Amino acid sequence: MRLITHNMLKCHVKNCKNPDKQFPLQFKDVKLEQIEAERNDEFLVRMLPRLDWSALLKTTKELGIVIPEKVPANPADDDEFLQALHTAILEMHVKEGSMICNGCGHEYKITKGIPNMLLAEHEI
Amino acid sequence: MPKFIVYFAHWHEDFRLAELEALTLLEDVVVEYDRASYTSKSPFLIVEIESALQAAKLVRRGILVRSIVEYWGSGSTYDELFAEVRQKPEKWTEYKDSSFKFTVDGFGKSLSQEEKISTIESFSFLGFEGPIRMKNPSAEFLVCEEYGESSKPLSLEKPRWIWFGRVVGRGSRDLIDKFDVKKRKYLGNTTMDAELSLIMANQALARSGSLVYDPFVGTGSFLMTCSHFGACSMGSDIDGRQIRGTAGFRRGVDGINANLKQYQLQDRVLDTVVFDVCHNPWRDDALFDAIVTDPPYGVRAGAKRLGRKNGTIPERSLKVVDGKESHKRTDYYPPTIPYEMSDVVNDLLEFAAEKLVVGGRLVYWLPTVANEYEPEDIPAHPALRLVANSEQPFGGWSRRLITMQKVALIDADQRMSEQDSLARDPAHKNFRDRYFSKFKRGLEDNSVID
Repeated sequence: MRLITHNMLKCHVKNCKNPDKQFPLQFKDVKLEQIEAERNDEFLVRMLPRLDWSALLKTTKELGIVIPEKVPANPADDDEFLQALHTAILEMHVKEGSMICNGCGHEYKITKGIPNMLLAEHEI
Repeated sequence: MPKFIVYFAHWHEDFRLAELEALTLLEDVVVEYDRASYTSKSPFLIVEIESALQAAKLVRRGILVRSIVEYWGSGSTYDELFAEVRQKPEKWTEYKDSSFKFTVDGFGKSLSQEEKISTIESFSFLGFEGPIRMKNPSAEFLVCEEYGESSKPLSLEKPRWIWFGRVVGRGSRDLIDKFDVKKRKYLGNTTMDAELSLIMANQALARSGSLVYDPFVGTGSFLMTCSHFGACSMGSDIDGRQIRGTAGFRRGVDGINANLKQYQLQDRVLDTVVFDVCHNPWRDDALFDAIVTDPPYGVRAGAKRLGRKNGTIPERSLKVVDGKESHKRTDYYPPTIPYEMSDVVNDLLEFAAEKLVVGGRLVYWLPTVANEYEPEDIPAHPALRLVANSEQPFGGWSRRLITMQKVALIDADQRMSEQDSLARDPAHKNFRDRYFSKFKRGLEDNSVID
């Protein structure tokens, strides 16, 4: 799982409604791998307003990935920024591990890079 | 503006204009044509485009477009056609010394080699002196004799119309072979055929910079075709076995990943996630440029959503087994209940209205009982405008490829317009039951739907 996807997912257990805790999900015991990918600046720039930057910052810090604290004024012209963003959200893969909800504690497992976000029947 | 002939594939006729319209948006090419001049019975359409370069650009992604031809002349006889071509000699002199090739096609009749050669020779008045080259000629000319679609095409002695011009661009029909499901390392028993998957990517306006999502991803066909055209894509499915490839056909090859490797799409097919879209974990302001999907009709692969039939058996997820709550065990799989077709579609529209960017597109398949179908059966939503509705008929039933565009942001109180106004059920409601009661007997194998 890439971090762009992680940035779009929240805990969706019934009654877990605190927006500050449902998101971002906290990684636990992750096996991280970087896989080089072709950079697409157009895509990166278009996704910027759709990302939750503070969540991405928090998550990358926890995983030891460095991205700028703030989005620059002209991201489209900032090669260094785009490269850091590309690496963080598109090249870093969580291969194994879990995502834990800081609200209800639900653990979403990631196996072979595929997160299982199915809920148990008491959670829907 | 100069005239061109769009030479369509004669197949999936109801999808051709819709695709052409999508291509004009994708390629930002201004095309003018008389809609009334289009007929599903002919593979030709006269259009006006600013230049040959623009014409080539327009069709380069076309799946139902064979080629686009600069119009030089046409007529009900060769004499008529030649007379028109002779009016503009300035067109031909440009190719006097070019290498060239002539192709002679018959629509509704196969022409013999002798007929083709004598036709080519009849164009000798053009005075082309360059070499004939079958591969990569600098100019390619097309003559097509249109006899018309008929069950007895050879009964016509003379063509209804003859077309002639210079081929300036081609569609992408070669991709149908590239993505042929038989050639994929991994497939499932409900995998959509390559041609329709590619057409869907065009309907969705999938391109570089866009993010596409399939909430019933199955074996990932649409992620592949959309990402082939440059989009980044994501998918989810309630059934992780389809994604991982641990059940069904060709198991054990690493599922969707095997195909992504084969087609080198790992950079753009971003992720596949296991969840039920009825209970989805997308963040509130997560947004997609397109949602492209083949919702489960529940005929062959039964449509399911999470849940337990009311009042039958109590919940088991919290029961402790061997010291562990059962839902925390690795082999836990939550119970599912059937998901009725009209509910699937209504939920899908609601989801799309919420999760698409304004201008984003929803492209999905809707099965309908053919003789009960009325255009107002197509589910509507105040935030979504119907762009195209193309039918693939199978006799008693059809499936329709529906393309909708999000035209407005939705307010919390602006929910889906329920189809209460319909005095009857839409022709897709309870499709599974009606399918089995009406059509199951006597169906050809190729018309069985998933």
